[in-house]
Amino acid sequence: MKDLFGIIAVFRTPDEVTSAAMRLRQSGYRAFEAYTPYAVEGLDRIVDSGSKAFLPLLMFAGAVLGAALAYWIQYWDEAVNYPLNVGGRPYNSWPAFAVSTFEFMLLASVTAGFVGMLAASGLPKLYHPIFEAHAFERASRDRFVICIEATDPRFNADSIHALFEQLGAERIEEVRA
Amino acid sequence: MAMTLTNELPPEAPVVAPDVTLTSLSEEVSNRVLMERAPRWWGVGFGISFALLMVLIIQLAWLFINGIGVWGVEIPVAWGFAIAEYVWWIALASGGTIVSALFFLTRSPWRSATNRIAESMLLSAAPCAGLMPIMHLGRPGLFYWLFPYSNVMGVWPQMRSPLLWDFVCLLCYILMSTMYYYAGILPDLATVRDLAKTRSKQILYGILALGWRGSVAEWRNQRVVYAIMSAIMAPMVISVHSVVGLDYAGGLTPGWHDTQFPPYFFFGAVISGTAVIIMLTILVRWGYSLQKVLTEYHFNAMAKVMLVGSLMLCYAYVWEAFGPLYGSDVADKTESYQRMFGFTAPLFWSEKILTVVVPQLLWFPLVRRSQLLLFLISGGIIVGMWQERFMFTTASLEHNYMPSYWGHFYPTLWDWAALAGTIGLFLTMFFLFLRFAPIISLAEVREIIEQEKPK
Repeated sequence: MKDLFGIIAVFRTPDEVTSAAMRLRQSGYRAFEAYTPYAVEGLDRIVDSGSKAFLPLLMFAGAVLGAALAYWIQYWDEAVNYPLNVGGRPYNSWPAFAVSTFEFMLLASVTAGFVGMLAASGLPKLYHPIFEAHAFERASRDRFVICIEATDPRFNADSIHALFEQLGAERIEEVRA
Repeated sequence: MAMTLTNELPPEAPVVAPDVTLTSLSEEVSNRVLMERAPRWWGVGFGISFALLMVLIIQLAWLFINGIGVWGVEIPVAWGFAIAEYVWWIALASGGTIVSALFFLTRSPWRSATNRIAESMLLSAAPCAGLMPIMHLGRPGLFYWLFPYSNVMGVWPQMRSPLLWDFVCLLCYILMSTMYYYAGILPDLATVRDLAKTRSKQILYGILALGWRGSVAEWRNQRVVYAIMSAIMAPMVISVHSVVGLDYAGGLTPGWHDTQFPPYFFFGAVISGTAVIIMLTILVRWGYSLQKVLTEYHFNAMAKVMLVGSLMLCYAYVWEAFGPLYGSDVADKTESYQRMFGFTAPLFWSEKILTVVVPQLLWFPLVRRSQLLLFLISGGIIVGMWQERFMFTTASLEHNYMPSYWGHFYPTLWDWAALAGTIGLFLTMFFLFLRFAPIISLAEVREIIEQEKPK
């Protein structure tokens, strides 16, 4: 017999999953996660999902570093390494460097956001125990799934079953992985 | 007739047909990706596209063996089809980002079902744009000299040149668009993965979906990053196309040396990009029977964007004619006159009809909802914008400052082969997107469905 990873409950509507998550939080559960087919408004305030400001700040840092790097490359190229007098313009002709600096700044920011988004979500991660649950498949389509993980200090299979039934779950399943 | 012609779409008209549910949406769209055999129209379309792609390969081989003398470019008209089509393709691509990013920021509901089509279009058009200047290089194998990299020659690119800015812009644009596309499609790939029946497709889409589970943290991170990316992509695309305009404005040739070029190019991107998206949306809607997801609402909205683009373009045309007239530069006046009434007159006037006069039909709500008319108007706009890009590239060079230096541009068969070939590359890539990636943004349309659900 494989180890118990957690117990999942499947709900039909976003409202049901939001109120279920709220109830779990109020009942003192901490290690639970909701899987939904789209970003359900308000769920992230109930289910613990990490720092909010991290990714925007990361993208801002990417932008600053990208701009600095791009300007530095251009400055070093045109003013230090390979100075070329074009119509008497200054070697460090910042207006002409602004375009490439701007574009590279945006590229660095988007790259930071993309990589950061994956890293903060723990992706790529081709296997996760939740994939063992048959009912989980529909979480990417039309169902809203909540999983209480066995690591939760208050984890008790019987009381969770009862709670989920009370919350109106369409289906309840034990996930073993 | 008069009643229907002016009947506006009611404000409560559904964005997505009311009988579309989360279940039917996911299954219908994913099944288009997962079906064992592609539908016949796809096979025919892909076959034609692939044949055109072979034209491009042959053209490239002939061009690389013989040099750009196989084209019609000559002195004085050294910028011909390749540069004009570079602008044309990048404008089509930019239109995709405008629809996708700009209207994400305005939270326009019609953007949710069309943005994937727009982004697939842009990712198919951008390589065509990128190929054009490389073909145009006398020594295409050395294009990498544009990168600022440490080399044994000790030579560095000239960072002050708009041509180099353009290279940086296009490179950044393609990379950013790819990440923007992937950040948006990730949840949808997970849907396809979970619906896949065969082992090979489960593995393929399992890898592509990177293990997306749809957990709260994943969604929050994705929404945050996607929103910021959109806010970045919108100014990005304006800057990319403006820099293409600077390639011209930076030249001293009469007709090019004009401060209005950057916005003027952007206006062209709005109208031609929307036009190609409308045509492809009609194709997708018909081919994949997605009438319930891509509704009149979408066409109505996109047609309005196209109409606005047409008016902005009209403004640029007026200014383009007014500038030389008001100024005192004889060369500018001559060039402008020659463009309107000389060798290029047929192109000039037919193009104005296609991109400014005919689109005024879009004021009528009936026209905005008639797919046949929209298809024809959009096709006309795309052809017209091609004429426009071609005309201002060559007409200015044809009538430079010195009358003794005047000459005309005549395209050769290889010029046309380059055009047909890049269209083949574009369509081949788009058909592959159609076949292997969900063409509707499922996650976002799900939100629309939930919002429209009667409370």
